[in-house]
Amino acid sequence: MELKRTHLYDQHVKLKAKLVPFAGWDMPVQYNNLKEEVLAVRNNVGMFDVSHMGEFWVRGKQALDFVDHLVTNDIKNAETNKAIYSPLCREDGTVIDDLIVYKLAADNILICVNASNIEKDWQWILSQKGTFQCELSNESDHYSLIALQGPKADSILKKIGLLTNDVNFVYYSAKEFPYQNEKVIIARTGYTGEDGFELFCSHKMANTLWEKFLSLGVTPCGLGARDVLRLEVCYPLYGHELNDEVTPLDSSLKWTVKMNKTQFIGKDALAKYQPRFQLVKLNLEKAIPRQDYLIENSEGQVIGKVTSGTMSVVTNSGIALAHIHTNLYPKDEIFNIVIRDKRYKATLTKKPFVTGGHK
Amino acid sequence: MSTSIPNNLQYTVEHEWTQINGDVVVIGITDFAQSSLGDIVFMELPEIGRKLNKGQAFGVVESIKSVSDLYAPVSGEVIEMNADLVNSPEKCNKSPYESWMIKIKLSNPSEVKDLLSADKYQEHINNAH
Repeated sequence: MELKRTHLYDQHVKLKAKLVPFAGWDMPVQYNNLKEEVLAVRNNVGMFDVSHMGEFWVRGKQALDFVDHLVTNDIKNAETNKAIYSPLCREDGTVIDDLIVYKLAADNILICVNASNIEKDWQWILSQKGTFQCELSNESDHYSLIALQGPKADSILKKIGLLTNDVNFVYYSAKEFPYQNEKVIIARTGYTGEDGFELFCSHKMANTLWEKFLSLGVTPCGLGARDVLRLEVCYPLYGHELNDEVTPLDSSLKWTVKMNKTQFIGKDALAKYQPRFQLVKLNLEKAIPRQDYLIENSEGQVIGKVTSGTMSVVTNSGIALAHIHTNLYPKDEIFNIVIRDKRYKATLTKKPFVTGGHK
Repeated sequence: MSTSIPNNLQYTVEHEWTQINGDVVVIGITDFAQSSLGDIVFMELPEIGRKLNKGQAFGVVESIKSVSDLYAPVSGEVIEMNADLVNSPEKCNKSPYESWMIKIKLSNPSEVKDLLSADKYQEHINNAH
């Protein structure tokens, strides 16, 4: 199958990015240096082309009711202009995708979904509409999406006049702003743990913004850096910590399942659900854990496996998220990761490996 | 893509360089290999005394995003291992041809003729990309 290209593709080629296939797209995994890209976001500012992600709109009188029914988190009671992270579940509680709902208005809601799940999500959402009075629209091809991330992202947006000193524009909120005769939806969200913005805009505007950001010294960052950044702050990734076989309760996402809501898809199943897995954070000094590496207890019994692993750029050590079978969770909390037939004792940590600076 | 391929060394299709000194072969990874891998952050090399068959995996190099096996270009016994490099694997990125990994004492000297010249290696890279 021919790989799809985002409308920023020529920018990536010009910057000599290393391109790799990802969810059917030819995407930049790295520009110059992955470590520098990670550190730019932690200490300064970086930008990502994430136009491959999907954008669905739910509009109309019952848009809010429908979205609140669809997802496990509470959309109805969220303030207007809030961004809300939520799993999207089936009746049995298994996860179809994790996504962000942008409540621009009660009758105008944007949902941003993972690129790899666009078709699956869209078919599911269509099938659930029933008698809700709202219009659904998959506008994934109409939008480009740039994530501008890092402690200096705010000052960059102000420099180009896209953002003024809007006091209400707090972390995890979203608004539409006029810019150069177009509209740009700015969300103060991201996938890095740092302060930052995601800019939903036209393809032409994306190129304009990308070039402006470049000229202001923003570091272009690839999907490689993005994955390290999200894992350092322990954000789950669909296909790793979440998949069609697990529920949000298997991956430390109880906080996103609001049992006090009257009804939502999956509520009954999740109310009764005994988690099969516990998601743990593991640190390794002298080796790098990778997805699917097995984890053993002190007696050599396999008790789980790594769901995501990498080398942290910030801590300079191996880090992993891992699913441990609940019924095999070791009392002594000794976790040995098996790497090429050797056992490495991991340190269990309760807090994320890196504390992001978002406000 | 321009990559450095010194004429005085011999190469493998797995992107390793070798330098032959009598019956001892010095082994490292090429400039092309280090550049494709990106920042090398971890390396595992065999212990001295380990006997390797040609083509056998003898270690790994890891970048932040990937794990790559290293394959023995020739058969023989590991007689030296560069422990300094294991402690600072980033040297492979900075100076790949000065960053030797292991030295093997050849057990089958005729295997040396299967190694690629600099020209043949360049051709291999061109064909693969």
